[in-house]
Amino acid sequence: MSKDRLSRRDFLRMSGAAGAALAGASPLGNLARVAAQTDTTINVLTVGDPWDLALQSVTDQFTEMTGITVNIESLGYTALQARLVNAFLTQSADADVIAVDQMWISQYADNGWIRSLDDFIAMDSDAHFDDFVPECLYSLSTWRNHVWTLPIASYAQGIMYRTDLFEAAGLDLLPASVADAGDWTWEDYFGILDQINGMDLDGTSMYGTTVIGAQPVPVVHMYTQLAASYGTRWFTQFPEAPWDFSPTINSDANTAALHDWLKLYAASPPESINYLWFDAGTRFSQGDIGMFYHWTPYFYLVNNEGYLTGTPSPVVDKFETAVLPTMSAGGDQVVSLGGWSLGMPSTSANQDAAWQFIKWATGSEGQKAMGQVNVKGHQFADFSRKSNYEDADLNAIYPFLGTQLEMMKLGDGKVVRPPAPIYTSLEGVYGLQINQAMTGAVTPEQALATTQTLFQNILSGNQMIPYGVESFDDTLENTKALIASLSGM
Amino acid sequence: MGRPGKFLLGGSGLLNRSTVNKRLPYILLAPSVIILLALILYPLGFALRNSFWFWNLQTSPMPLYHSGWDNFRMVFLVTPFSEALKNTLLLAGLGTFAQFWLGMGIALLLHTHLRGMGLMRAVLIMPTTLAPVVAGFLFRYLLEPKGGILPWLLKGLGVPVPPQGFLGNAGTALFSIGLVDTWQWTPFFAIVLYAGLLSISEEIKEAAQVDGASGWRMFWSVTLPLLRPIAAFLVMIRFMQLFNSFDLVYVLTNGGPGTASRTLSFNLYREGLVNYNIGLTAAMTWLVVIIVSIIINLYLFFVFRKREW
Repeated sequence: MSKDRLSRRDFLRMSGAAGAALAGASPLGNLARVAAQTDTTINVLTVGDPWDLALQSVTDQFTEMTGITVNIESLGYTALQARLVNAFLTQSADADVIAVDQMWISQYADNGWIRSLDDFIAMDSDAHFDDFVPECLYSLSTWRNHVWTLPIASYAQGIMYRTDLFEAAGLDLLPASVADAGDWTWEDYFGILDQINGMDLDGTSMYGTTVIGAQPVPVVHMYTQLAASYGTRWFTQFPEAPWDFSPTINSDANTAALHDWLKLYAASPPESINYLWFDAGTRFSQGDIGMFYHWTPYFYLVNNEGYLTGTPSPVVDKFETAVLPTMSAGGDQVVSLGGWSLGMPSTSANQDAAWQFIKWATGSEGQKAMGQVNVKGHQFADFSRKSNYEDADLNAIYPFLGTQLEMMKLGDGKVVRPPAPIYTSLEGVYGLQINQAMTGAVTPEQALATTQTLFQNILSGNQMIPYGVESFDDTLENTKALIASLSGM
Repeated sequence: MGRPGKFLLGGSGLLNRSTVNKRLPYILLAPSVIILLALILYPLGFALRNSFWFWNLQTSPMPLYHSGWDNFRMVFLVTPFSEALKNTLLLAGLGTFAQFWLGMGIALLLHTHLRGMGLMRAVLIMPTTLAPVVAGFLFRYLLEPKGGILPWLLKGLGVPVPPQGFLGNAGTALFSIGLVDTWQWTPFFAIVLYAGLLSISEEIKEAAQVDGASGWRMFWSVTLPLLRPIAAFLVMIRFMQLFNSFDLVYVLTNGGPGTASRTLSFNLYREGLVNYNIGLTAAMTWLVVIIVSIIINLYLFFVFRKREW
């Protein structure tokens, strides 16, 4: 936005002030009086992920500061989505703040189930909106040039590998920084796997890696990272305008990726065909996996022997993290960026208090408090703010934050797993076909040809080919412009 | 008003005692019939209406337009319907068959009045009281390839165990689900068939023995025919329950690997509660209703064609 024009923030500030003067008590006018909101209780509906444990551990701090009581209810992933959709449909949503998966944003926003946070952000300088890593906001929170949620836990993907195994095999350590990555490629990655798969380490026969193979969602989360690195794109044109959802999933790049994915599976425990996210993480932490890539929360979760058990795993101090390789030496990289954000249902009767909670929980202080929680070990490093990544205290607890931030900055959640309408249906058939290829029932070529046909049928059947609704040029650059606009920059 | 007792309602003379007596059963039954029909027909009618509308909650909270037969075509074009139908029929058919005969064997054993049968009856019912989800989690751990007790035992007995585990192998995943269901529901067959055995008159059995029947002959020609009404309904109920299998599939395999253990109910769950395609789910529901109705009516026709029921 040009400097000589009235900025969105200025406009909203003026109109908010005028509105408050006229109406006396507009919701936005109450923002400055949060500290006095005693007797206010808000209901927060979240998902039972590790970040939720950390959040629940520090919520008392928020109540002490604001007087707002917070009731948090945690549900499983599917149960949360079912509860929210049913509540929205029957207009009986009782939550003031909800956890939103990045893939639900378009559905919730287009249906008017959650309200845009633009006004709150623009009116509240305490939000420090420009402190967010733009890629996190872009991937998790924006849709059609509005901010619908704020990130509470951002995940990129990266590598974990056993340093003792690498030493025994005479291998160099992997690059922890893009600057050191040089010509670090997937070809090198597969070369290392060939070398370490089946090696004996202190009497343990090692698997080269492990995959997350369960269909349909888990396998898509892991596979799409490899596919995106290889250059796979789902649609002819998205998120850039004009949107053209004609599928491009049956491409040479994706065929090569799926062939190589089967190589990864061949170097994995056979039962990993049914592995969920935490199964793969737990398997690494049990000590017989040499190297794998996963969502970044596993950078700290693998310190536990099991999932959030609090018992130190045998791999503590025996593993390191590294950046993902590229398809070709020095080539472009795109990293999967996902996670959770907090949004506000349109039906919330406590919108001011809800905003205060969202602002605090996703803010630098709230996030730092979550990162310092030490219950069954430190269990939260999924920061979305630059200030948290620069924080010395947090870096002392989570030494991998530098690597994680570099992966975040290469992240693009709108390309690797595009959050287009009906994404869930597409993910369902995609994951099923990848898993079919892993069983050997179909070849990679057959799996991708079927996926392409099913994508075409689903997208056509849901009126997305041709796409009749107005497109939006949903690029990172436009999100950066939105951040600048809402931050009054 | 007419004479007391002659006319019960009003003075028109239309409802005399004999008319009332004739209509009274229908009048008394009417509320329950109306409620029953409403409970059955309304959801089915609602689903039927939705099956002809484009309504996907991922794109719109309301039905958008009349889509003709598109949803029914989409069932076959975008969901693994035929694989799920095959798996469902296999699971329901083989599961019911195995549970019936195993249950019959246990019932006959219980009927022998050997020592300890009272305790066995009490223990037998326990698996049936577990929620299928609990049974699923229990067996998920028992079947775990790395450390599960069942693969360990089988390996010890020389039985080959798939490297992916029983739940991760396309050839054994559905069989494993059937096994868990059989573990849980065979006792139900056993208890009900045992009750049926107790109801068979000793005089009939003695008469058959006098005529020279014993052992298998007695079982095939006397016991089984007399158990037929109970057995037929048991088989029908369990077949329908197994046809709707969801809990165990969800917990044990999530329908995988690939489509190896996908059932129709799991497909409905995916489309309805994950993809939120209400129109498509409604169409699939109706296809399932039609298939089940055909199977059950054919079954009833052949089983009860010579009997009134």
